[in-house]
Amino acid sequence: GTSRGAVKPSGELIAYKNVNDIPLPRDFMIQVDQKHEAILLPIYGNMVPFHIATVKSVSSQQDTSRTCYIRIIFNVPGAPFTPQDSSLLKFQEAIYVKEVSFHSKDPRHISEVVQLIKTLRRQVASRESEKAERAT
Amino acid sequence: MADGHLFNSISLGGRGGTNPGQLRVHSGGIVWKKQGGGKAVEVDKSDLIGLTWMKVPRSNQLGVRTRDGLYYKFTGFRDQDVSSLTTFFQTSCGIAPEEKQLSVSGKNWGEVDLNGNMLTFLVGSKQAFEISLADVAQTQLQGKNDVMLEFHVDDTTGANEKDSLMEISFHVPNSNTEFLGDENRP
Repeated sequence: GTSRGAVKPSGELIAYKNVNDIPLPRDFMIQVDQKHEAILLPIYGNMVPFHIATVKSVSSQQDTSRTCYIRIIFNVPGAPFTPQDSSLLKFQEAIYVKEVSFHSKDPRHISEVVQLIKTLRRQVASRESEKAERAT
Repeated sequence: MADGHLFNSISLGGRGGTNPGQLRVHSGGIVWKKQGGGKAVEVDKSDLIGLTWMKVPRSNQLGVRTRDGLYYKFTGFRDQDVSSLTTFFQTSCGIAPEEKQLSVSGKNWGEVDLNGNMLTFLVGSKQAFEISLADVAQTQLQGKNDVMLEFHVDDTTGANEKDSLMEISFHVPNSNTEFLGDENRP
């Protein structure tokens, strides 16, 4: 079948081919683009995409006042339990974005985002492992 | 008015998101005024040291670098504005804007470039994002390979974004020797 949007080995991972494929920002908040399997983070007035395959985990935390935090941890080489992808070796000298945390004014939106990211991660991961199984 | 160009919906981007406003480019420099008054940005021609264009989703972004180390990002230009302004900047300011490209591949690995107080994360020589080190409250080295940047809590500047960046950390492998002396703020 077609491999559109599929998580390829890291070397070929592409969330968007074109600048104009990125959805317009809504309120400058974190967005999950299920179609392109990416998350979009508001950083200095721009929406910055990260492919879901780069995301290792996501968590949120609510503090006493009505604000909350979201923490997104990305895959980096050498971390325990990172699937050893041979294509990663090509990027040994690269600098990785390892972790970001955001403060949010909207706890409901944050818990929604956490759920969406977890679901999308799971879907993509199970599809990829199925694909790997079929290949062997 | 023969002198210059007026653009009505140009937003100024920064740490807190973006603010809509009006931008005027004239032979003496660049003036941006926030919609409804308030903040204004004026850059005199003599203070301009660099201009960049970058295509962003459905728009174009003008980067303006000034002599005193400030850097402004204006978004909202149409493709035809880019060519007319490029000509204008060349003839009236003697500056040819450089073209930058935005990375949209979604990769989390690349290079870090430090220029003035801007930190740029580049993926395959295209820009993924920029952050201003002036907003960094603290840097920490975590373990041997991780550099964490913590941002000032900023609720003063009419921030219009719902989610704001608090911390970001970068993993710098041992084999990367470029930033050995650069881990702390320049």
